[in-house]
Amino acid sequence: MSVQSSSVEAAKATPPTKKGNSLGSLATNQLTILLVVFVALFFYFGSQNARFFRTGEISSLVVDFSGLVLLAIAETYVIVSGGIDLSVGSTVAISGVLGAEVMNHYQGHMGQVPLLLLGTLICALVGLVVGTINAFLITVVNMVPFVATLITLSAGAGYALVVSGGGDVGNIQSAIIWSSTGWWIFTWLSLIVLVIATVMCIVLHFTRYGRYTFAIGSNDFAARAAGINIKRHIASIYVLSGLLSGLVGMFWFIRIGAGSPTTDATANLEAIACVVIGGVSLTGGMGSVVGALLGCAILTIVTDGLVFINVPPTWNQVVVGAIIAIAAALQALRGTRSRR
Amino acid sequence: MSNAPLLELRSISKSYGSVQALTDVSFKAHAGEVIGLVGDNGAGKSTLIKVISGVHAPDSGDLLVNGEARHWKSPHDSMAAGIETLYQDSGLAPHLTIGANIFLGRELVRSGPLGKLGFLDQRRMERQALEELDKVGISVPAGRKTVSDLSGGQRQAVAIGRAVMWAKNVIILDEPTNHLGARQSQEVLNVIRAAREQGLCVLFISHTLPHVLEVCDRIVVLRLGSIVRDDPTDQYTVESLLGTITGLTK
Repeated sequence: MSVQSSSVEAAKATPPTKKGNSLGSLATNQLTILLVVFVALFFYFGSQNARFFRTGEISSLVVDFSGLVLLAIAETYVIVSGGIDLSVGSTVAISGVLGAEVMNHYQGHMGQVPLLLLGTLICALVGLVVGTINAFLITVVNMVPFVATLITLSAGAGYALVVSGGGDVGNIQSAIIWSSTGWWIFTWLSLIVLVIATVMCIVLHFTRYGRYTFAIGSNDFAARAAGINIKRHIASIYVLSGLLSGLVGMFWFIRIGAGSPTTDATANLEAIACVVIGGVSLTGGMGSVVGALLGCAILTIVTDGLVFINVPPTWNQVVVGAIIAIAAALQALRGTRSRR
Repeated sequence: MSNAPLLELRSISKSYGSVQALTDVSFKAHAGEVIGLVGDNGAGKSTLIKVISGVHAPDSGDLLVNGEARHWKSPHDSMAAGIETLYQDSGLAPHLTIGANIFLGRELVRSGPLGKLGFLDQRRMERQALEELDKVGISVPAGRKTVSDLSGGQRQAVAIGRAVMWAKNVIILDEPTNHLGARQSQEVLNVIRAAREQGLCVLFISHTLPHVLEVCDRIVVLRLGSIVRDDPTDQYTVESLLGTITGLTK
């Protein structure tokens, strides 16, 4: 009566095609390795140059890290669901520029805090609009996510240049205060980012919304057959990704006191790099927010640390490429080994 | 107990563009009945079960459950009406645990305000999943294993257990014995018999005609989108069934 199915013929007929790892131990192992790599890098750079350990330097590391975190989390949600969002970087640019235009217009007409809140609102709205366009192209027009977000990447980056005329928009120096004050090694801005990151982590791993995200990325047909409205869910993920990118636009505005059409032009690549380093599977269904955060931490510490061992910053992108290559190779090797 | 059939199709037609997948399909299915649905590739079996399970809407015709006309907007609606479907080779999400798959789309949430926010009660789902599978005669390795850790036979067992566990009225099994060895196939057929004992109606789709003849009470033969024969199993032999499927005999 019982279907105890371990017999040889079934195993031969359908060998497990996906990676045969126990999820719990795999995830823990991977996160531990990433943490060890991060700590090792931290002490390596410190041992090469003691200035690296100064509070100011660490604080600036945290700021650079925070600038990436929300984009990497947006990308984590999208990639876990089996998609990709190439437009996060250009959404940062277009929201920052449009937010700056509006704040410029109202500067002097209202107080500092309301002005920044207005800017945040505009950036969030711009992000929502871009996310909604992505969601429409993917779930209504049925474009593949790569093409849909390539369109918004191109159009968004171009429109940011059109609106800004190619240069930085606005000059609200008092905004920068918010990026330099805070608590211990954290600026207020970083703390806000970390709070959002914590919420996004909990939602992905402990709620129904997160469970559906994994299910769709793992097997969208099974998710649909289980009664999940996958189009609506996928649409919501791209809208969420746009919203987070819009907020990063405000983050960068506050950091440099202006909206720049070019600052974060390559941020989509960095965000995807963090996610790959963090062990999120590009084929969907597997990954974690904590992994993506460790990916951000490793990417940040390497790019920032190079300066301290006298490597010219022009090498940054080459080194980033090398890190991605190592992370991806390790994932591929582990995949083939456990597939037997 | 009314005598209305558990499931009734009246003149269902469905086309994809210029391809007529189903033409004027009608049949009745009663509680405690195992019905074999057979036909060659392209005969319309998949389309028919997709119409019954709400993946596709029919172009015309009526679908009745317990004598009541119903329209599915999505698979969710048919599931709510007690119809469970096991699709061929694609019913489970490999990266998720057994418990997560069993409860996919029907997640248990925590009690209290956290539950209202959609927080999952993962431990309860894992435990209940194993208990419920055990009840329908399926045992799987304990522990929070992902489906990708299971063998092909074990995956199929979990998928069937999931369908039997949730079905209230009708259970649709699309090629459930595919890729299974002889002993495992017999176990699947036993689960089908157990479902019949529970008063479920089972629609059993298979190319393995001996399995169909062994377990079904009635066999419906589809060819080119139409029902060409619908008779009790004892009126078929393997040869006559094969002849009807291919259209060589009447």
